[in-house]
Amino acid sequence: MISLAGRDILHSWSKFVFTGVGLGLLIGVTFTMAGVYRGMVDDAKVLLNNSGADLWVVQKDTLGPYAEPSSVHDDVYRTILGMPGVARAANVTYLTMQVRQGETDVRAMVVGFVPGEPGEPRYLIAGRRVTRSHYEAVVDVSAGFAVGDQIRIRRHDYTVVGVTRRMVSSGGDPMVFIPLKDAQEAQFLKDNDAIVNERARTADNPALNRPGVPGLLDAIEASQTSGHTVNAVLVRVASGHAPDRVAADLRRWKHVEAFTRVEMEDILIAKLIATAAKQIGMFLVILTIVSAAIVAFIIYTMTLGKIREIAVLKLIGTHNSTIAGMILQQALWLGVIGFAVGKIAATLWGPAFPRYVLLEPRDAVIGFVIVMLVCVLASTLAIRAALRVDPAAAIGG
Amino acid sequence: MTSVDGIQIEGLSKRYGEGPTAVDALKDVNMSVAPGEVVGLIGPSGSGKTTLLKCLGAVIEPTRGRMTLGGQVIYDGGWKIADLRVLRRDRIGFIFQAPYLIPFLDATDNVALLPMLAGQSNAVARARARELLEALDMAHRASALPAELSGGEQQRVSIARALANRPPVILADEPTAPLDSERGLAVMRILHQLASQYATAIVVVTHDEKIIPTFKRTYHIRDGRTVEEALR
Amino acid sequence: MTWRFRVPRQVWVVVVALGLLLALGWVATQSGPLAPIPVTVAQVVRADVAPTLFGIGTVEARRAYVIGPTAAGRVRRVLADVGDSVAAGQLLAEMEPVDLDTRVAATTAAADRGRSAVAAADAQVQDVRSRHTWAATEARRAEALGAAGAASQSSVDAARQAEQSAQAQLAAAEASLTAARRDLSRLQADTGGAQQQRGNLRLVAPVDGVVTARDAEPGSTVVAGQAVLKLEDPGSLWISVRLDQARSAGLQAGLPARITRRADPLAPLAGTVVRVEPISDAVTEERIAKVAFDRAPTDVSSGEMAEVTLTLPVIRNAVVVPNASLRHRGSEQGVWRYVDGQLGFVPVITGVEGAEGTVQILDGLQVGDQVVVYSERDLGDRSRVTVVPALRGAVP
Repeated sequence: MISLAGRDILHSWSKFVFTGVGLGLLIGVTFTMAGVYRGMVDDAKVLLNNSGADLWVVQKDTLGPYAEPSSVHDDVYRTILGMPGVARAANVTYLTMQVRQGETDVRAMVVGFVPGEPGEPRYLIAGRRVTRSHYEAVVDVSAGFAVGDQIRIRRHDYTVVGVTRRMVSSGGDPMVFIPLKDAQEAQFLKDNDAIVNERARTADNPALNRPGVPGLLDAIEASQTSGHTVNAVLVRVASGHAPDRVAADLRRWKHVEAFTRVEMEDILIAKLIATAAKQIGMFLVILTIVSAAIVAFIIYTMTLGKIREIAVLKLIGTHNSTIAGMILQQALWLGVIGFAVGKIAATLWGPAFPRYVLLEPRDAVIGFVIVMLVCVLASTLAIRAALRVDPAAAIGG
Repeated sequence: MTSVDGIQIEGLSKRYGEGPTAVDALKDVNMSVAPGEVVGLIGPSGSGKTTLLKCLGAVIEPTRGRMTLGGQVIYDGGWKIADLRVLRRDRIGFIFQAPYLIPFLDATDNVALLPMLAGQSNAVARARARELLEALDMAHRASALPAELSGGEQQRVSIARALANRPPVILADEPTAPLDSERGLAVMRILHQLASQYATAIVVVTHDEKIIPTFKRTYHIRDGRTVEEALR
Repeated sequence: MTWRFRVPRQVWVVVVALGLLLALGWVATQSGPLAPIPVTVAQVVRADVAPTLFGIGTVEARRAYVIGPTAAGRVRRVLADVGDSVAAGQLLAEMEPVDLDTRVAATTAAADRGRSAVAAADAQVQDVRSRHTWAATEARRAEALGAAGAASQSSVDAARQAEQSAQAQLAAAEASLTAARRDLSRLQADTGGAQQQRGNLRLVAPVDGVVTARDAEPGSTVVAGQAVLKLEDPGSLWISVRLDQARSAGLQAGLPARITRRADPLAPLAGTVVRVEPISDAVTEERIAKVAFDRAPTDVSSGEMAEVTLTLPVIRNAVVVPNASLRHRGSEQGVWRYVDGQLGFVPVITGVEGAEGTVQILDGLQVGDQVVVYSERDLGDRSRVTVVPALRGAVP
């Protein structure tokens, strides 16, 4: 027995392939959407991995430092270092702000870190690590800066000395790493006009500006412009100790909250990404339905074009199942072509997206199964139409 | 060859609908065609000739009567064959007004399709197809697609297809309608030759005046009743 | 002949199908999580390491002076303004004397009166002394007469009593004189004090310098210790540099410095560390060093920011790697060594780090080892890698 489906495809192969390519692009979009979601989850995991921390110590009763603002005194890390089970503890600050280079502005998350401690990027793709204690920066490649560029953060210029990859905030903004003190100043020090205004207000306050106490006003103004807080303390747990135990010990202090890696993942993925995940989930469902409808329409149209031949086939004695099988096979082959084109297209255009698109092999397998199922379902409409054809219609014209 | 071979129809009637609006398309039709004989079925449109062909082709169920094809009673008040589809595939050959070839199969495969459906191996089916195409002088176009064949060539392929499973009966519905007189007569010559060669009983429904003289016997049908007429 | 049309079409299909399969296969293995990670490697070499220390500093004067009154008062006149160069001893401002002048006059008059009192007491003493001398003489005479029997005992006693009385009076008068003299000194001291206070109303420059602030105008009231003018010696300007405690190994006096003023970043100046402060900042975790200009620029102002780079002695011929190759695995610091296509994590002990990014390796690696410098992703023990000359997307 020859393959009727195969012969039909061979006969009108260009139409088939074009249709397959069109369907494939739609499937590629679907894969890309799933990849965007996976990319967001991966962004969150990478953010946590690349910080090199086992515990995040933040302000009590907050979900910070990524999901909520958190403020911790910058000397808390010293006492944390003294606790059992703590190998390293370091301050970090996070602030999302505009970073200028020349005329252009980039939205970035500025991270204040201590070199050699948790919080520093774990690997570079170009340049070197920061060696000076001020005014040097390591940036993520998605910011668009290169080694040697001068960028401006608040009131200082920084030289980009190193470039890293996959260091983005949970919102997809590239990260810019600068020394902790510079970051503290950027976060907590206001602009010149505000400072001058503040000074004038303090000078007008008779309680603070006492003529009998020279030097008091200067001391107060100095204390106003210094910030001694950070957003979190990153802790690496010593080997042999359980992060949960160390976190529990830290929480017992009553002044701080401590999250383990698992808890941070949960916060980031469940709380921050939840809405985006739902949106993408809805998109995937809609795209799948649309793909199914398109496959159904195409197969149905192709079948309708063969109604005469189907009547003749039935008349001359072809099994219903043979005819149904022909239609089903065509639908499945269409699905295979669509899947291949879609997977290749998604891989090729994935890197062009502003957000990270992660295509996992597991998703490809699931996608293939779904595409096949959709094709089977979509072909039922055409099969029903074909089975209802009356062979007598071939006679009598 | 006994008189039960070929086609035997007795008292065949077909009523469409029920009650006062019922239409009797066939009224007590009798017909018999011997193996090797080519018989014409002539009548105006609406006379029931298409209905009779459909009953003979086991695509509609008659209301009453008895039909015997190739020595096998297929209908006697009710279908006597379990699988009509197999009957059509193996015992009846169809030739239509238009060739109705499968457009994505070449000439050989169009003809070989039927034996393949009947379970023959591809090699055997194709061998038989080539043999039939040769008999119809189509061997040189055996691997052409229907789109590449002229109307007459397509018709010849469809005739070959009708014969592919060596059915005892062939039903032809206006086979010469799309052809000119020379081609039409050529087709009739082929049918006559193949009928005697393969001992097939052939019924040709036609209203083409030009080919009527080729029949030895015809049946005229009007208002569901047939009248036999022997021409020669 | 029967196959002529079929073969090309079937070949087409096979070609397209194979092409798709190959593309799928390429996609699966060359991108996404299954693909090997591109890395660049470098050889461990020997090179010189030039470590530097970096800090931000503020220009300040070594010595700054606050010129103000020692008592509350009102400013009478200010003779210098911001930017003026003044000499030591130059009068810069003057306070209102208020009642001080009258006070000086009062105390002077009181001193004069004291002097008169002393004179009076002195005269008194002379008078009493003469009387005492006469009483003593009379007493002696009476005693002689008594002894001769020429006078009565009572007259002798009377004469002796008169002598004692006169002696007592003399003592009293001498005491009064002493008191009057002491009073006089007190009043003279008072006068001296009032005059000194009058003198303190004159605010003079203690040294040569430049006026940096004029904080009170004539007529304004200031309290004791409040500044009317501030003074600085411009030749004593130096930079107070703050260096991260964690990155200040090797900080000592005498290190050469390169100073980049924010006001003039294109013209770096040379300097030297003159002092490392014995007290560091525990809150900001910084050490403080004072860096002097080798040749002080003329237009520098105190309060200016400057970036200071201190050059430490060069370490010659050290085993070095680029600092981008330093990684962490767990809590260890080390590098990923690339041997025969396999990765292995080697913990290292680092020494000094140069400003351009080479870091000295004290233990763990040998010259000739190949280490991973840049990688597209984080590396693990089981990562598959492929060495490329440069990473995609990294503009050199």
